[in-house]
Amino acid sequence: MNHLPAFLLERRSPHPPTRTHGAVSVPFLEQGIHRLSNIVQSGYAHWELSRRDGLFQQIDARVKVLFLALFLVIVSLKRAIAPEAGIAVFVLLLFALSRLEIFVVYKRILVFGFVFGVLVPFPSMLNLVSDGALLFPVIRLARSYDLWTYHVPAVIGVTREGVEGITLLFLRVTNSVALSLLVLHTTPLTDIVKALRIFRIPDAFIIIIALSYKYMFVFIRTVEEMHLAKKGRLLGAVRGREARSWVAERITLLYRKTHAQCGEILKAMMSRGFTGEVRLRGLGKMAAWDWWMAAAQLGIAVLFLRW
Amino acid sequence: MGSLIELEGIRYDYFGRIPALRGVSLSIEEGERFAVIGANGTGKSTLLHILDGLLFPSGGCFNFRGREVTEASLRDAGFLRFFRERVGYVFQDSDAQLFCPTVLDELLYGPLQLALSEDEATDRTNQVMQMMGIDGLEDRPTYMLSAGEKKRVAIGSVLTMNPEVLLLDEPTNGLDPKTEAFLVELILSLNEAGKTIVIASHDLSLVDDLGMRVALLSEGHQVEKVGAAAEILGDTNLLLRTNLIHEHRHYHGRESHRHSHFHFFSHRHGTDD
Repeated sequence: MNHLPAFLLERRSPHPPTRTHGAVSVPFLEQGIHRLSNIVQSGYAHWELSRRDGLFQQIDARVKVLFLALFLVIVSLKRAIAPEAGIAVFVLLLFALSRLEIFVVYKRILVFGFVFGVLVPFPSMLNLVSDGALLFPVIRLARSYDLWTYHVPAVIGVTREGVEGITLLFLRVTNSVALSLLVLHTTPLTDIVKALRIFRIPDAFIIIIALSYKYMFVFIRTVEEMHLAKKGRLLGAVRGREARSWVAERITLLYRKTHAQCGEILKAMMSRGFTGEVRLRGLGKMAAWDWWMAAAQLGIAVLFLRW
Repeated sequence: MGSLIELEGIRYDYFGRIPALRGVSLSIEEGERFAVIGANGTGKSTLLHILDGLLFPSGGCFNFRGREVTEASLRDAGFLRFFRERVGYVFQDSDAQLFCPTVLDELLYGPLQLALSEDEATDRTNQVMQMMGIDGLEDRPTYMLSAGEKKRVAIGSVLTMNPEVLLLDEPTNGLDPKTEAFLVELILSLNEAGKTIVIASHDLSLVDDLGMRVALLSEGHQVEKVGAAAEILGDTNLLLRTNLIHEHRHYHGRESHRHSHFHFFSHRHGTDD
């Protein structure tokens, strides 16, 4: 039998406290770690969605990447509201045919569209920024003012051109985000990365992107484990300074671990014949269905371009 | 008074999608040696995380010394201290567990959390270092230790807090036979000193060596059976059904043959040398 130190033989009271001793607040650090876990969760959800039995999931990743590039260009070229609205309806239809959770995804898209398509450029709706036909006044001044190169009209209000501009911008933002999410939610990220080869991106860059994505998950898991190990030995709230010091130490340790792992990965690659040139497995030949889909998307793209 | 640890209908899903535990009910008595065994991915580590209040079940109830352990109850400073002082967790990955710059900092972390005086904390640390055979490593950064040394430091860092329940996740994973034997003896000594030992492992020889009461988790993430180590490990059909043993080629002396067999019992045939 091992000789145990005397303190290990000491017994504590078996009775849990009957009254409360004040609450321990959830520290900022813990909230941050929960957010990191959500990244893994969304990564898993993305992987699961990309395997659903929908229209876009069955199309080759290269066709989808080309589709994305082509339609992003069309969205930025269109200068009228009607074709932008047409694209929005078309993308919504694709979401439905791909059996994606439309309400969940569109909630995010609309928030993004509202912030960057409405809130940020909101002043441009006013005749303070650009001239136009006044739709409804907001502020009435006694007279107009000229300050340096700026002209402040007597009646400040929202213009027709401003509203049209904002609507167009909102549609452009939402369409661009919706198109990107459509491809992202229906294609495993590894396939998207490989499909980038059609743009002649070198394999070395592709493997760096793929490894970085993988390392992100390894990193999050390690951070989470470290946090849980610390939490398991914490008896109360942590002071902000102490928490920051812990985070700084963890960053150093993770850097060292990453550095060591980087060396290990290189050794593993070398032992399997890596000599400096990266050769990756491609996505294989495209099926007839993929070619038909590519032709169909090209046809629809031309229609939108001519609209 | 009820059991030290009581689990009733525990359910847990990762990301709300991947099932890890399905209606697990167990009770662990004070001073017991208890093992949770099962094939990979059956939910052993998840169960240990729940027992340490690091994860909270999506269904069911977990009581420690008669009080329910929930996210809300662990926000009560008094109960948090009561629980953390009494339950120590040794992680499977020592690298994740060792988060202080040096071995000494690591061992001192727990006692200082308990608000012990620096002299008392140092005294405890020195005694644990001696017991764990890691004296002389105090100034070494933890990432410069061998796997066996890391495991010893990880266990030592929990023992300096003198917990009454020791949760060990795959404690013998990746250890050499000498360190493994040291660990078995240490666990037995701690148990004889009154500590409750809970182990999650698929190392059947460890469970046998420690003569534990065993809960066997199935691949359906449920408790398949609870019983004495000899009873569970002696039921070949049960172990086959839960994928803990399988038929494969192996040698007896100079003869290679194929059948379901255990790695923890040495078994002999008439043809063995």
